[in-house]
Amino acid sequence: MRFIARFAQELQDHFEIIDVFDSKIEKTPIDKDNPEIESIAQAYPAAVWFERKMHDDFGIKILNTFDNRPLIHHERFPNIHPMRKEFTHKHIDPVPFKPYHYEVIEGDGIFQVGVGPIHAGIIEPGHFHFSQEGESILHLEVRHFYKYRGIEKIVERKDPKDAWHIVERISGNESIAYQLAYLDLLRQASKQGENENIQKYGSILLELERIAHHLVDLGFIPNDAGFGAALAYSSMLAEDTRRVLKTLTNHRFGFGAIRGVARKFDQNALHSFLNDLEKKMDFFEKWIIEIPSLWDRLDTTGKLSQKKALKYSTLGVVARASGIHIDRREVPFYKEHGFSIQTQESGDVAARFKVRLQEVKNSIQIIRNLLDFQEDEVVLNAFEDGEYFAFTESSLGEVMLYLKIKDQKIDRFFARDPSFINWQALHLMMPKNIIADFPLINKSCDLSYAGSDL
Amino acid sequence: MIDFWVQRFRKGIQTQNSWADEELETIKKSLKSEIGKKFSGSLAIRMVDSGSCNACEAECNALSNPYYDLERLGIRFVASPRHADILLVSGVVTFNMLPHLLDAYEQLPSPKWVITLGDCTQGTLFKDSFAIKGPVKEHLPVAYHIPGCPPTPDEIVRGFLGFLRSL
Ligand code: SF4
Repeated sequence: MRFIARFAQELQDHFEIIDVFDSKIEKTPIDKDNPEIESIAQAYPAAVWFERKMHDDFGIKILNTFDNRPLIHHERFPNIHPMRKEFTHKHIDPVPFKPYHYEVIEGDGIFQVGVGPIHAGIIEPGHFHFSQEGESILHLEVRHFYKYRGIEKIVERKDPKDAWHIVERISGNESIAYQLAYLDLLRQASKQGENENIQKYGSILLELERIAHHLVDLGFIPNDAGFGAALAYSSMLAEDTRRVLKTLTNHRFGFGAIRGVARKFDQNALHSFLNDLEKKMDFFEKWIIEIPSLWDRLDTTGKLSQKKALKYSTLGVVARASGIHIDRREVPFYKEHGFSIQTQESGDVAARFKVRLQEVKNSIQIIRNLLDFQEDEVVLNAFEDGEYFAFTESSLGEVMLYLKIKDQKIDRFFARDPSFINWQALHLMMPKNIIADFPLINKSCDLSYAGSDL
Repeated sequence: MIDFWVQRFRKGIQTQNSWADEELETIKKSLKSEIGKKFSGSLAIRMVDSGSCNACEAECNALSNPYYDLERLGIRFVASPRHADILLVSGVVTFNMLPHLLDAYEQLPSPKWVITLGDCTQGTLFKDSFAIKGPVKEHLPVAYHIPGCPPTPDEIVRGFLGFLRSL
């Protein structure tokens, strides 16, 4: 049974814990005056961040856990539980500094290296704490949530339609995936069935987003191994893709593109882009596959065994590169349009690179097969009170959204980015690697900070 | 790889220069000459994300792709604030990032300038959250703002020129 998410919500007279697995959803009521619940992190290690977040958000005590440090609340964060209904402040003040105790390995000759939150280069903020023995990494703790914007609280009490512009900005690289998941929620809430035209339109944009995002990684991974030419080449293709997205949606990242309407677009332009991209991808692949010094760096670096990948409930490219068949596109609609799951066995940087390469090629085929849609629209209003779940395969893996509507307003919104899970597995890829390979390993997973911090 | 060299040998060097937009070329020329005059030919930028959705950073990264290739003009994104002339800030300024943003600004040697990038920095998007401390201008002296959500690479290039001309 795959663990997907664990989160809480406040109801009239109690808190409710919701555990989401791939085959079932469990709900546990707990007392509001003395809220506590048993940890499930022994069985599902990835649950530990969810539990720490639940504690910060609601003040729920987690029993028998191996980690009860604050997660979102940093050193100067006041002791508040903002997801409780009674919390309505728009402003908080810092409190005196309380140190955070990192998980470290200590011993003779072992030293600690802290990196971040601001990194070299143009990249999101987060902190990595290494225990080192010379060049070798003994342990890594990932510490994030510098970008915590409080999005789940911002959308509360809003009309569901008024949250679009926030949901699409949870993570810029996955904007279309988030919009599609949100559309799915609103469609369910307005009791509308699936609409094939809208589905096709949305999937074309989703695959373009995937292509653009994978192409950037396909450049940065070799670049971090010292092969900059790959970045020059693939960043050009990524730019072409962004420009195509702009001609289709009026926005280079597709903000505002998914609102339940399928619009017609210039098919010839898209076809010639796809043909050109396909040719260039063939060249790119042939070229890069034959550079032995590059593969010396990528092969066997940052290995994640299939057993661990499963145990930690990993998602997306990270999971597929370790031989796990998991992809939300494994459904008849996608399969009929040419989707085939891309996996590798070796679980290293090389495998993650190859999965991305194959996925770009597969996405080109899928888009071609989806082009015969008609203009269409679904009516999204009169939202019925209730609870709704949606899942979409973003370029990073499975995005999960939960929405509870009460009196036509958002009562609880919960978003789980695939990165929230995968970040927790990053430290497993460190043993037997040197610190200079960290950027390479990190880039090969390409996880989102914004989506995970929320 | 052999294929690559065979092709290269047959066809000769074919450096692509795919940029056809004359207007942008003119802007890039002016940018280069302004950097020459006001920053002795090299402008060092340290970017700090104070809570963005990451699209703003993606567009800054795009500035190095062969279409824009800003490095050629003398603009460099540097790793340390101590090597920078400019602090380029994106994002909403979260509660958790504020001390680090201020710290980064402290580390820049004088003279220094702050440029804000993207609508987030103005405190309009994501407003009314307890976890947000924006806008940037409440915490740092902002010399110039580049609007957009995100500003496109073109708009960022124009923004840099606008900033240089404002000096
Ligand atoms: S301005 Fe827009 S694109 Fe930039 S970080 Fe903010 S939401 Fe994202």
